[in-house]
Amino acid sequence: MNALPAVWRRFFGEERDAYVLGLLRLAISALLFFNLLRAVLEFEHSGYFGDYFHMPMLSEVWVPSRAGYQLILGAQGLAAVLAFVGLWPREALLVASSLGLYLLTCDRLQYHNNRYTLLLLGLLLAFTPCDRSLLLVRKRSHTLPRAQRIAPTFARRLFQIQVSLVYLGSTGGKLLDADWRSGQVLLMRFAKAPEICAQHGLILPAWVLLLLGSAWFASLAAKAAITSELFIALGVWLPRTRRLALWLGVGFHFWIELTASVELFSWVMATSYLAFVTPEIRERRLEYVPSHARAAALARFVAVADWCARFERTPLTPPAPASAAFYVTNREGQRATGVLGLAQLAEAIPLLFPFWMPLALYARFTTKARALRS
Amino acid sequence: MPRSVLNLSPRLRPLFFCAYLATQLTLLIRAQRSPDFVFGFQMFNASSELKISLLRKVRRGGRSRVVHVRDGAWETKDASGERHTFRWHDRIRYSRLTVLDRYVHAAYGLDAQLFRLQAALHDFAAHLSGDRETEALIAEVDTIENGRVRGHVRLQADRP
Repeated sequence: MNALPAVWRRFFGEERDAYVLGLLRLAISALLFFNLLRAVLEFEHSGYFGDYFHMPMLSEVWVPSRAGYQLILGAQGLAAVLAFVGLWPREALLVASSLGLYLLTCDRLQYHNNRYTLLLLGLLLAFTPCDRSLLLVRKRSHTLPRAQRIAPTFARRLFQIQVSLVYLGSTGGKLLDADWRSGQVLLMRFAKAPEICAQHGLILPAWVLLLLGSAWFASLAAKAAITSELFIALGVWLPRTRRLALWLGVGFHFWIELTASVELFSWVMATSYLAFVTPEIRERRLEYVPSHARAAALARFVAVADWCARFERTPLTPPAPASAAFYVTNREGQRATGVLGLAQLAEAIPLLFPFWMPLALYARFTTKARALRS
Repeated sequence: MPRSVLNLSPRLRPLFFCAYLATQLTLLIRAQRSPDFVFGFQMFNASSELKISLLRKVRRGGRSRVVHVRDGAWETKDASGERHTFRWHDRIRYSRLTVLDRYVHAAYGLDAQLFRLQAALHDFAAHLSGDRETEALIAEVDTIENGRVRGHVRLQADRP
């Protein structure tokens, strides 16, 4: 009976390192700024939305005037910039996202799921301690010491739940739609692919055309899409499946970005995955031989691309006899070099993350083959 | 340590959490009944198409008849004899509804676009000052839902 209050206290009282939340703040505020830029360009191109047909979800009296709209866009832009540079970043995030949500309710024609998702994530991020790292206005001392970065992160859980809700909402819609389940929707989309590719000067080979025109392939693709989304929504909550779910998500959004026009959706979702990164930093180690050109280059790359501060970099001086040029030690303490070492690097570095699975699979198969040979 | 009004007290955290989740779930469930799934995270468009033909119900010589609107525009004279040109695109700028007499993709599904088209007709009909002829605007819509002909829909908005 005492278990529930204990879980409750742990959930709402959880205190973790807020470093990665600062990175998330940089990314979300940049996306909020780009989203605003789109609105400004639309305003420049098409004029004020209230001057022509629009569909407010609120009463018309709540729709801002032209001057009011310009003022709101200006305030949104300023807030996004402040959040990015780290001046009252949480308050700025709240202002930027709240104003965006208000504008969405002023015209449902401007409603798009990607915009709504971005604004909700911005709003939730404002309630996390994302103001303790990467405060660019503080220049070199942009990140607070570790003791000051430990803070209540319950809103991060809400952020994660929101990400799952996006996928669950999307999956639910497809599951309720018979044409989606059967693959009919995708079959129609695939039918347009040759024409779209031809417009971009790309002629598809005959076997691809055959595949795109077949009902069984569309049915398979539909089931794969639904299963993938469901797996991403739920898999991110289990430590054993989290990494795989995120990797699948990255591939899924890369595919969507290539094949559909979805504004910032892919970027928003890929960014949101940072909320699932283990908050504690420098729990992995990269050891490298400084005199080895490739290992030194790898260390330099990690210094630049290790945005989530996963790795402690340690030069191996002097290198032990017969040692490798580099070693990567993961959180579980597994020390590896070669392809497995690279896979352990890729699993924690955002830019390399898409390569994690192929590298890990390659490392596993080659290790097995070597073991069989010996 | 940074202070912020957004640092919720331990007592407020569960309240905020429950209020946010309840709001989201309510919106998500309500969205399923909304024609355009607004707030419902329905990310992928259906593969449906629609073709809108715009018509006007006009009164001429004491009789009402329906005339096709060519290229989305027509001309009339007001009481003082001054000519006025009305263009669909002048008021309807939502890109999914601006293309007339040609099949276009129905973003967010057919129901969403028909719902928006009905609202657009009402909006346009309410902004026809200077047009003494037009009694109503009519949209004849041919629809194809995921590759299959769904049928013909007629939407009408009378002038207020």
